[in-house]
Amino acid sequence: MILSSSEAAAMAPEMAIMAGILFAILVPNLGDAKARIPLTSFKFPILWGGTRFEITSDPRAPGIISTVSLAVACILSLYAIESSDGKTISGVMEITGFGRFMSMVFTAALAITAAASIYRIPSTKITVDDAKDADERTTLSLMDNRRQVDLHILLMMVALGMSLMALSTNLFFLIVCLELASMASYVLVGFHKESRIGGEAGVKYFIVGSIASATGIYGMSLLYLWAGSLDFAGLSASWAAMDTLDPLAGIGVGLMLVAFGFKVSAAPFHLAAPDAYSGTNAPIAGMLATASKAMGFVAMMRVLVGFAAPNEAVTAWAPALGVLAIITMTWGNLAALSSENPKRMLAYSSVAHAGYMLAALAALGSGLADSNTQDLLQMAIVFHLSVLVLFKMGAFLVLTLLEIEGTGKSISDMNGLARRDPIVASSMFVFMLSLAGIPPLSGFLSKFLMINGLVTTTTDTGAATAANAMSWLQSVDPYFLLALAIVLNSALSLFYYLRIGLLMFFEEPVTDSPLPKAPLLRVAILVSMVLTVLFGLGPASEWLLSLVETAISTF
Amino acid sequence: MNEQKNQEWNLLVPLAPAIALVPVLVVMGVEPIDLGFAAIAAPLAMFPVVLLIGQIWNGNEKWVSRFKEGGILALSALSVSLIAGLWMVLDFLGAGEKKVHGDPLTWLDFDVLRYDGTQWNIDAGFTNISFGIWLDPISAMLLFVATFLCFLICWFAIGYMTTDDINSNRNHRFFAEFILFSMGMFGMVLADSFLWLFIFWEIMGLCSYLLIGFYYWKESAAAAAKKAFMTTRVGDVFLMVGLLMLYDIYGSLDFAVVFDNPSTGVGEAPVKASELQPALLMLFIGCVGKSAQFPLHVWLPDAMEGPTPVSALIHAATMVNAGLYLVARMVPFVDVDYYGVMGMEDLGIIIAWVGGITAFMAASIAFVQNDIKKVLAYSTMSQLAYIFLGLGSALYLMSTGHRYEGLFVLGGALFHLFNHAMAKGMLFMASGSVIHEMHHAHHELHHHDGHGQHDDHDEHFDAQDMRNMGGLASKMPVTSIAMMLGSMSIIGIPLIGGFWSKEAIIAETWLGALEYEPLLLGPAILAVLTAGMTGFYMSRMWMMTFAGEPKHNAASHVHEETLWIKTPLITLSIVTATTGALLAFFHIGEFLSSKDYSMGLDDLDVTKALQIAFLPEKRTLMAVGYVTIALSTFVGPIIAMKVHGGSLKEGQEANVAVSWLVSLSAAFKTIDVSGMANSSLSDSLRKRLHFDDLYDWGISKTIAPMAKFSAWFDANVIDGIVKLVERTSIQGSHWIRTYTTGSTRDYILMAAVGALSIFILIMGVTI
Repeated sequence: MILSSSEAAAMAPEMAIMAGILFAILVPNLGDAKARIPLTSFKFPILWGGTRFEITSDPRAPGIISTVSLAVACILSLYAIESSDGKTISGVMEITGFGRFMSMVFTAALAITAAASIYRIPSTKITVDDAKDADERTTLSLMDNRRQVDLHILLMMVALGMSLMALSTNLFFLIVCLELASMASYVLVGFHKESRIGGEAGVKYFIVGSIASATGIYGMSLLYLWAGSLDFAGLSASWAAMDTLDPLAGIGVGLMLVAFGFKVSAAPFHLAAPDAYSGTNAPIAGMLATASKAMGFVAMMRVLVGFAAPNEAVTAWAPALGVLAIITMTWGNLAALSSENPKRMLAYSSVAHAGYMLAALAALGSGLADSNTQDLLQMAIVFHLSVLVLFKMGAFLVLTLLEIEGTGKSISDMNGLARRDPIVASSMFVFMLSLAGIPPLSGFLSKFLMINGLVTTTTDTGAATAANAMSWLQSVDPYFLLALAIVLNSALSLFYYLRIGLLMFFEEPVTDSPLPKAPLLRVAILVSMVLTVLFGLGPASEWLLSLVETAISTF
Repeated sequence: MNEQKNQEWNLLVPLAPAIALVPVLVVMGVEPIDLGFAAIAAPLAMFPVVLLIGQIWNGNEKWVSRFKEGGILALSALSVSLIAGLWMVLDFLGAGEKKVHGDPLTWLDFDVLRYDGTQWNIDAGFTNISFGIWLDPISAMLLFVATFLCFLICWFAIGYMTTDDINSNRNHRFFAEFILFSMGMFGMVLADSFLWLFIFWEIMGLCSYLLIGFYYWKESAAAAAKKAFMTTRVGDVFLMVGLLMLYDIYGSLDFAVVFDNPSTGVGEAPVKASELQPALLMLFIGCVGKSAQFPLHVWLPDAMEGPTPVSALIHAATMVNAGLYLVARMVPFVDVDYYGVMGMEDLGIIIAWVGGITAFMAASIAFVQNDIKKVLAYSTMSQLAYIFLGLGSALYLMSTGHRYEGLFVLGGALFHLFNHAMAKGMLFMASGSVIHEMHHAHHELHHHDGHGQHDDHDEHFDAQDMRNMGGLASKMPVTSIAMMLGSMSIIGIPLIGGFWSKEAIIAETWLGALEYEPLLLGPAILAVLTAGMTGFYMSRMWMMTFAGEPKHNAASHVHEETLWIKTPLITLSIVTATTGALLAFFHIGEFLSSKDYSMGLDDLDVTKALQIAFLPEKRTLMAVGYVTIALSTFVGPIIAMKVHGGSLKEGQEANVAVSWLVSLSAAFKTIDVSGMANSSLSDSLRKRLHFDDLYDWGISKTIAPMAKFSAWFDANVIDGIVKLVERTSIQGSHWIRTYTTGSTRDYILMAAVGALSIFILIMGVTI
């Protein structure tokens, strides 16, 4: 597969990530090695090997490389959204505005993760060999420049897989890209393999994840058996031609739902997720909750909306998705209520959010939505996925700050955070409110779009008065219950979101020591907070919405 | 001293840009009427500035000395308002138009969903709420009063507030709240709709609460603030109900719509008196609360807990005028010769009675007050009641078609509002000056005696108690002259200030009582009696404070006032002494009442004004007039002199302007009334005629049990439900988390269950 120059230009963000991977491999190996020209005593530096330079052996170097390359990819994607012209590459990819929008979201989330990881890992320059005992070896091994290279290469792999996945027009290619990202993320989850909890989390996540993937791939093979093609265009044509649901197609889609259900951590496939979140470090957990989840939803939309869209005869998967949605959001919120580990709490909250988006997807699949409300629902999902990068990731960034100082394992570590650092605490509170969907924050806007889409899809705005309210209720489609479930669950979720605020602002702090400095991380928190507010109301939110609309129109 | 004085003047330099702002705006082509926006916007914009900077620079040396903790900033904002107000008033007078209505700014646009039987339609542009400036003679006069007094009060406050230790590092709060209050007052006066009038009215209510409770750590101040807020709230609820009723009748609250033709409501339907009258009565109850009239008067005396005397001052001289203003706005509704609604006589009679009762009651309570501010507070109630009485008579007379007499007394009442505001503003400043100096003298004495206590507020000494004063005439010439002139204006000594307006009110009320409506006789008699009583209590206050020998050590060590306190006193003395007569000669009464104002300022007619005051056409009125003059000018003051008069201490010389009064009082001093102090009447007067006890009793019987029940309901039923939800959710949470066993085997099992369920759900739909 050789890309022409115009094709390479169209794939600039991926090229940036590739360059980042190459740099991350090469740069840490640069040293002062010299080669002697044979037969002379003249030596010239070949830069490869020998004693490494100060700058190339710095544990922070790989992090900076990956942050920069991911940020560049993010900006390139942003500029490509409007200009993408649907160029097809190698028959499996199509450069669309939607794909570019999603790669912007993915790379943004991963760039933040990479930046936060720089601080997450102590940046001293002692190597593993200096360790005195096993415990110290555990810690020091994480500081090692080489381990850092591994981490950041894996992060960029994740980005590459996700970014390509968003462009794919072929189910097989989609699964391959998905697996590229997933495999890398399994390793990332288990990156703290030296600690018991980290290793366990990685293994669990890997086993459950690979079983889910295997199920999905089996589903894909059934679909191939049924349609004879894995191209979305071919699958779509076959699906539209069905009069009744072909069992092969039904089972195929159903099995794929299992794989994607794991990716978006929908109940009951989410069980490994809280373990994974609490076992890994906060930036990686943030990546799982934002980029990884967005990837799962994009894949799901590609399959469900892209080719298995409801036609007149067949609305197969919508009821399953609806039931799944209600179980997912209720389970997530209920479990989050009594979680004492903030990362577990956020993991369950992320499960609940997956439930909300599944509800919107179910409404899309119900066959009731006309093209306007279909756009509205898709917009709601994509908007939610993109602003989630701000406030869900922001919350994990605050946890990263706590983790750097060695706390953050228990929710009581939040106590009195406002007195220790009012700006960080206020930002955290904004993130919590946005997660709960309080106006005028962006979390509200996305939830509002979702409920609005659900309600307009499932009810008709005829003559509703107090007098005929009962008969109106009876005329409403059962999918309306999804909107109701979202509202009730939001109320429930306020319990644990506001509790964080309560702890931060009204409890006595455990210690008076200030939080770690970590300037870049603080900037990221502050920017996330400001954008969380701005994208909720006013011109900034309208800009983002119009961007999402552009993206949706090329889905 | 001189040098220090110069430095004080230097502080005013920051005012220069503020003063220049309005002329610049005019040069830039802003319509004079639109200057009203500047008058409101300047204090509104300065409010957060003062508050925030004050909080950030709290205690900063420069902030305290250069900016007087925000006082200078507040003053500059108010100077913008003052100049804008003056410019507007002068332009209005010069233009000689009946009213000016600036182009309103749209605030909110409402579309309404209407159900036409088959479907819902959007009725676009159903109503919009806009804010514009409305200037007619009434609002022009009040605009001048409000901007002028607020400016002077702020000036005075800079001298008064920043010299007392108890206020230091808190003054920014005072000045911020004060200018927000001023903004409310200007906005209320200039608003072109009842809705905005109400909004600004409530802003004033809030600021009044904040200012009364300025010393919130003092229990009495906190209680007084709460009392004022709750009492006016009762009125405000009625006011809001009244406004809704008006909206129901007219379909709008804009003056332009409502006053265009008050006899036809929404859709040109004729307005019935049986609908309009209750609405206006509701509005009137709001006015009763705001202007501290019977029976919602209980908050005003307690409001004197605010920073001495400035919050007292805004409560006495400016804010309480809001209620009067709103009643004066009711005139077009009843003006039957000019699109008014027929059959609204009762409204005027009720207002007149409330005024009469309050006037008499407040004056009698003022007899026994020993706190100098409380005397003034009751005097305020009494004088406001006069104005209500006048407005009530005006409403009655106009609703029965006696337009000329009605307009005459309306003008008189509004003129009295003006005179009273100026005089009472000055009196409160003067009393503040007295208290301030008494306090300092006492403080110094303590210090010199070597008691060593740095306690600023000694429990045993009350700087406001007139029984500690006496003989101050020689120590405080400016204050004593100001107080004398102010008291004269309030009493109604012929030719000075309040005389002109009070005569008009009493004469026309008697006219109405004798010729048209016997029911007005009660208020009319009360008004005459009150005139005499006013003479007594105002004279008593002056005598106790300034005449006689010092009754406390502190009173003999009082110094003269500072520049900041003296300047407004002198300004207002001149205004009070001269403006009343001047304006009377200029026919301000007719100006204020005229709906078809066409009079220039050139027909100065002294003889006519004197003739109306002293030689009315009807004999009965002449008799009433002279009885009033006799009671208020001679009987009241002479009795006061007999009781409280006395010459100064040996060797003390008073200023020539007041020494005659002191010697006169000494000549009359005869009676000792200490025996009367224990009578049951004076006891109940001291307890304010038991109104507070009555309200306390009523509240304990009605509202307190209800509140207790609500508390119980909240604690048991509502909290019970919330707790139940909480408990159930937590239980559910624990239950559902048991499925997260931590074992990968179980996770895979659950995933398998999930996969089967999806399979069943998908296939179940079609099979």
